[in-house]
Amino acid sequence: MMSALWVSKTGLAAQDTALRAISNNLANVSTVGYKRDRAVFRDLLYQIQEQPGGLSSQDTTLPSGLQLGTGVEIGATQKVFTKGDLQATSQPLDLAIDGRGFFQVAMPDGSLTYTRDGQFQLSEEGEIVTAEGYRLEPAVNIPADAQSITIGADGTVTVMLPGDNGVTQVGDIQLADFINPAGLQAIGGNLFRETPASGAPLTGTPGNNGLGGLLQGNLENSNVNVVEEMVNMVSTQRAYEMNSRVVSTADQMLQFVTQNL
Amino acid sequence: MDNVLYLSMSAAREIIQAQAVHANNLANAGTGGFKADFAQARAMQVYGDGLPGRVYAATESPATDMSSGSLDRTGRNLDVAIDGDGWLAVQRPDGSEAYTRYGSLEVDAAGVLRTSRGDLVLGDGGPIALPPFETVLIGGDGTVTVQPQGQDTSNLVQIDQLKLVRPDPGALVKGPDGLFVRADGLPEPPAAGVSVVSGTVENSNVNVVNEMTEILALAREFEIQLRLMQSAEQNDEAAAELVRLG
Repeated sequence: MMSALWVSKTGLAAQDTALRAISNNLANVSTVGYKRDRAVFRDLLYQIQEQPGGLSSQDTTLPSGLQLGTGVEIGATQKVFTKGDLQATSQPLDLAIDGRGFFQVAMPDGSLTYTRDGQFQLSEEGEIVTAEGYRLEPAVNIPADAQSITIGADGTVTVMLPGDNGVTQVGDIQLADFINPAGLQAIGGNLFRETPASGAPLTGTPGNNGLGGLLQGNLENSNVNVVEEMVNMVSTQRAYEMNSRVVSTADQMLQFVTQNL
Repeated sequence: MDNVLYLSMSAAREIIQAQAVHANNLANAGTGGFKADFAQARAMQVYGDGLPGRVYAATESPATDMSSGSLDRTGRNLDVAIDGDGWLAVQRPDGSEAYTRYGSLEVDAAGVLRTSRGDLVLGDGGPIALPPFETVLIGGDGTVTVQPQGQDTSNLVQIDQLKLVRPDPGALVKGPDGLFVRADGLPEPPAAGVSVVSGTVENSNVNVVNEMTEILALAREFEIQLRLMQSAEQNDEAAAELVRLG
């Protein structure tokens, strides 16, 4: 049958997937620590119907051949790790990373995941946990009678205890970094998992060795740019319409064949 | 049997081929760095006895539109677009060299610079490996500079320079994987004066209005060919009628 039909079908499918990535970005426009996805389009293989430079006779060659492309696909969705805007919240357990790095979160099964979402809370045992209740790694225990919590740019957690004029250090927050953060696997819940593409985590003290410092009382907002996504949405929709127009044109051609021959 | 039927049938078949070329262009209207293919019909005369009326049509893609697509600002340091003429050299998995205008680069787990489709990006002396870095910068001439991990901004280290080439536009052909290669298969030497813009990627250069118009025009031409086939059929019927009368 007509290959134009199948080629535009790949166009429709790819634009549909791109729209899904855009709608997910827009849905996460206020998700703290969210990094936007970018759909990467890729042209599919070309079929060589007539080889350019092939011999048309013993002494002559074809000046140009016929290569038919077979359409388009979404090759990847790429996480774009640009910085999101910082938002001051004045909450003592809200942390933002000013630069590279991820907080390490211990999952219930003992494995480690990574996040840029710094909305931490206290568990009933006084441990610093994420909104889902997963423990920050390395664990930091805040005494029940702590009057105030201070987290320094280097991750030092100190508390002020009643009847004590000084401060007591109760833990250190460490960050992890990856050579290729875009290779991390997003597993939902603002969490990422290490993959062979991301490389092994390199842990260290915030503010050292290229890791960003911590900012207490701040959150990193989503890096989704609403205007950009809306523009992408418009161009995706129009591209979808044009591909569907090709489908109907090809359909009309076939219809003409069946009705008039 | 009448020759007209075969001529218009071949034309209709070739129009479908041309339609596929334009449909592929339209499907790739959002593919970064994509270059639109042209399709044209060529007259293929068949010599023989009788009137020189047997000229069949053959669709061919004579060339690819090498004009630049629009540049899209992304703000990502590893997105590079080529400003003006020139191509970025990459290495395919089989070791051969190819060229692309889509410079959305990534760093793999080993620190090696790759394109978004996984091909190695070539520098002065082969693939470019980056040490653990805090930020990576790509200069206007393709110089790759990193701020190594744990160093401040005054200790930038120059790693390599992207291999940028400027082959003769006619020398490049599109390979079956969509990357461009030199028609003679040889690697192109690096060229001076090709400039890149970091934080930008090049869009597809497909002109959607143009492709849409071509598709509609081809659909009408297809209908004309079918009308001709109908006329040939009617001629045959009339001839048969004459025979019956006699």
